[in-house]
Amino acid sequence: MSEKNRSKGLFEFANPSRVERILSRYPDKRSATLPLLHLVQSQEGYITPVAIEVIAQLVDVHPSEIMDTLSFYTLFSTEPKGKYLLQVCQTLSCSLNGADELADHVCRKLDIQPGETTEDGKFTLMKAECLGSCDTAPVILINSDYHERLTAEKLDKLLDSLP
Amino acid sequence: MRQSDNSPMFNPVLTRFMHLDNSHTLNVYRSVGGYAALEKVLKTKTPGDVIEEIKASNLRGRGGAGFPTGIKWEFVPKDPLKPKYLISNADESEPGTFKDRLILNKAPHMMLEGMIIASYAIDCHQAFIYIREEFYQEYKTLENMVKEVYHANLLGHNILASNYQLDVVIHRGAGAYICGEETALLDSLEGRRGWPRFRPPYPAIEGYLKCPTVVQNVETLACLPEIMNRGADWFKSIGPEKGPGPKLFCLSGHINNPGVYEAPMGIPLTELIYNYGEGIRNKRKLKAVLPGGVSSVVLTADEVEGLNMDFDSLAAKRTILGSAGIIVMDDTVDMVNACLNIARFFAHESCGQCTPCREGTVWLVKILTRLIHKEGRRRDIDLLLDITENIGGLSDLSKGSFGKTICPFGEAVAWPVRSFVEKFEEEFFACISDNKTIYKAAVIS
Amino acid sequence: MAYIKIDNQAFEVDAGTSVLEAAESHGIKIPHYCYHPALDAVGSCRMCLVEIEGIPKLQASCNTPIREVPHDCRINGKYDMVVHTRSDIVKKERENILEFLLLNHPLDCPVCDQAGECLLQDYSFRYGRAHSRFEEDKRVQPNEYLGSMIVINHNRCIMCTRCIRFTRQISGTHELFVDKRGYNSKIAILEDYPLDNLLAGNVADICPLGALLDRDYIHKNRIWNLTTQSSLCTECSIGCNINIYYQGNQIFRVSPRENLKVNGYFICDIGRYGFHKYEDVERITSPLVKKNGKFSEISWEGAFKEIFDNFAKGKEKYLIAGIASPFHTNETNFMFGKLMNQILKGRTVVGILPPIEVEEDISYASGFRISRDRSPNRQGVVDFCLDLEVNILEVVRDKKIKLMVMLDDGVERRIEDSWIEIFRNLHFMVVQAYALTPLAQLAHLVLPGPAPFEREGTLTNDQGRVQWLRPSLPLKGKTRPDWEILMEVMNTVGKRELRYSGVSDVIRKMGDEFPAYTGMSFFHLGDYGLPKNGQIKDE
Repeated sequence: MSEKNRSKGLFEFANPSRVERILSRYPDKRSATLPLLHLVQSQEGYITPVAIEVIAQLVDVHPSEIMDTLSFYTLFSTEPKGKYLLQVCQTLSCSLNGADELADHVCRKLDIQPGETTEDGKFTLMKAECLGSCDTAPVILINSDYHERLTAEKLDKLLDSLP
Repeated sequence: MRQSDNSPMFNPVLTRFMHLDNSHTLNVYRSVGGYAALEKVLKTKTPGDVIEEIKASNLRGRGGAGFPTGIKWEFVPKDPLKPKYLISNADESEPGTFKDRLILNKAPHMMLEGMIIASYAIDCHQAFIYIREEFYQEYKTLENMVKEVYHANLLGHNILASNYQLDVVIHRGAGAYICGEETALLDSLEGRRGWPRFRPPYPAIEGYLKCPTVVQNVETLACLPEIMNRGADWFKSIGPEKGPGPKLFCLSGHINNPGVYEAPMGIPLTELIYNYGEGIRNKRKLKAVLPGGVSSVVLTADEVEGLNMDFDSLAAKRTILGSAGIIVMDDTVDMVNACLNIARFFAHESCGQCTPCREGTVWLVKILTRLIHKEGRRRDIDLLLDITENIGGLSDLSKGSFGKTICPFGEAVAWPVRSFVEKFEEEFFACISDNKTIYKAAVIS
Repeated sequence: MAYIKIDNQAFEVDAGTSVLEAAESHGIKIPHYCYHPALDAVGSCRMCLVEIEGIPKLQASCNTPIREVPHDCRINGKYDMVVHTRSDIVKKERENILEFLLLNHPLDCPVCDQAGECLLQDYSFRYGRAHSRFEEDKRVQPNEYLGSMIVINHNRCIMCTRCIRFTRQISGTHELFVDKRGYNSKIAILEDYPLDNLLAGNVADICPLGALLDRDYIHKNRIWNLTTQSSLCTECSIGCNINIYYQGNQIFRVSPRENLKVNGYFICDIGRYGFHKYEDVERITSPLVKKNGKFSEISWEGAFKEIFDNFAKGKEKYLIAGIASPFHTNETNFMFGKLMNQILKGRTVVGILPPIEVEEDISYASGFRISRDRSPNRQGVVDFCLDLEVNILEVVRDKKIKLMVMLDDGVERRIEDSWIEIFRNLHFMVVQAYALTPLAQLAHLVLPGPAPFEREGTLTNDQGRVQWLRPSLPLKGKTRPDWEILMEVMNTVGKRELRYSGVSDVIRKMGDEFPAYTGMSFFHLGDYGLPKNGQIKDE
């Protein structure tokens, strides 16, 4: 969360012209809900209650409708996450290729369970469903990067190398 | 990407230039003949001509439902008062499927050209690409692509000096499998939660913002330029006439060479597994195959023999081609565990709107969890069969039992789970805790 | 018009009607949870699935519109649609859906308020299996407050979303939404927007189960102990139709009664909880006369004698002020008007106190309205007490009137300090009241009348609709119906022998003298009321 916003309990978009562009792209304002939520999340790390109010005003719906929408989707969060979001795919193709063991390995290495964040705030672990890269199983998505054909060793090296 | 050695008549279509460096750029696409089809369409064909050509080609949707594309476009009313919309469904989330990702990475212009052609055919001037959130790199590729294309007068006003105009907006999803279902996608695009809608009215009549909307899969759109270039007869000549064309098949699971393979529709499944995929890993034996992602009825190794991969052949075997996400399982797989994996996937992705799916999927997970811990009870087998029928009906539609849910998610969970139980009964029976006396319970139908 | 057949009934119906509505309007019951006639249909509970010939999959009847089909598509050459609601496949389906609904539903009937009026109980009994095959752990979430009056028990909720659609389509206040997805979905509010609008109580009514509960009624009683009385709300001039639930001498609950011409399917919280304000009011149960500044009880004969002494007996030239009340029934105001304009003709000025009003109507998205006029029968006063003075208290002061008869408004009335002087200057003030309100306390003679829930008669709402007000509580002590008291006053002062056998008799007399009310009777008014002849605004 940006320092400015956190200290005031406020929310402002860092790039208002981008917000305008987003709103102008759609024939109906409400369609801009998802892109605006993405924008808030990429700016603040998660969706704050004040941000919900701001979006609600921009797209002209009641804040509860924004919450209705955002709570449906796995990838919007109303709580702060770690610096790196680790999404470990656990669906069939990955599971057939050792994803379950890999997931256990990550839990042990970072000493957290899925849904939790490490104490230093660096990693949040999440179990994900099919990430659409089944031929390179097992796959872990770290923030926006796919890491494919992972083994326990490769994963260890990868996690240790992240700043 | 490999070509089959046994089909000398087949030259790759969709993957024909993906081996080139920067195949995703406009220059490279143009150098292999890209946008020639669009020019031909805008300069010499009416929208009606395009619809007729696509109808004649028998192109069927490659997203999972397999609905004839040309006929879908015909449903769009010609009423000039309501704007029409076209949406490219890039929310590829069916487990086992990753073909659209390939197109988005290596040949997005192919999809875009298809989008412009399709939009022209249905008199649409605003199109969307709904892409799943996890495909961030692909989203960036698309953003650049769209910029390039506007610059080159292939989007915007007066495309290629015609008086056709089209705008494209890229819209990211946020992690929901159900948003790949077209009516849920529409609600998501409208800024709501992805709860599927009742049909009728069909999206082609009342879709996005209650206006006629056509939703097409990425691969389906990618087929359009070559159909317009080479003609419907050419397309129809590849594979079976009722569901022809070049097809991207995804191979994953216990296969030596997983990947996306282009082959004609109707290619034998064994050829895909043993030639293209180079057989089962670790020299093990094939046990089961899911031919159309996890939403399809599973096939045993025997059933795989002699089976052709096209819509109708698979339907005759009471399964579906779906998204052609072929998941191969070898004889090390515990089928109960695999079944639980699938049930858990559906329970996690259930939208929760209607009762059977919201309550039933988790019930399945709970029973299967007990089974893998060897705490099953004898009646659990019958219960699994009954619950799956109550959610999604039987895959043998002639038995008169159909799904009870608002959207096809009910069938999608019922078919695989039920087929696992039916075809691999012994493994489920082995999970029953008093397995000293195992006797087959009557199947409740 | 489409011609359809449902089970063994064939009938015509407007195209576009849903199968469920068509069935219900012909007495064919199809079970449903998420459908409600005031809300958009969603078809998510799957309880209303029926078999429609020609369509292999069972269809949700609430969301399936009936259409006319071309001649060659008709079934048996005749029907646009043939529906089966009782076939084996439909029956099996209902059993299965009930099983799914009950999967996580706790066995709370012994402690759940909804027991006895619960659709899950009713349908389980009628359509369900006798047992569930679910043996796993149930989903458990703690109860939560959604607003100051509404509690949700998440474990009982079946996600029919009626409550959410209510806050979106009827009240337009949008407080409720679905949180999360799938198995973990639940009804929720944002902390800053609790469910506290004036229509909030309705969500507990429309909840088909005991998931949404009204704190006002929680754990207080059981539906089978309660008697139901159809009546009217008296909190404003809309005249919403209500059901009053009472046991013995206590009202436990007020709920909306459907009347599509007045309030639709809902009432506001003012009317819903309004009955409480009469519970602790200290009632007058006998006529009271003030001597030396203190009230003491007196018999009815004594009371009427006091009136005679002060209004007749040499005081025939004195003017009498009459203050009618928009809180009283048409019959009471009719008798009052008769007393003032016929019996005491030439001596009276009649008016009402300044109306109890708020600044403006409160309107909601669906058109539901709470009137700014917070009295139930201003129209009745205007109709029956003719030549009303605009500012009666000023007239009393300026003309130095010494005598007054008043129908007390009740506990809602607040008096202004400037009035007290005017009332104190009266020589004789008779007030007909049910409690010692500030006005009644200024009187010289108080005649005990019934409180609002004890009255019977008719009220005319602000659209000119006359409706039947029915009592649910008995008369207390020596109180007599208001119209009867006025009849005796008329007999005393006017030396008449008026004898009306009951309030119905009064209504007939009302109709004789006032053409707009001719022909009315309780029988004709029935449950939904009637417009005044030829004078309704919107019909």
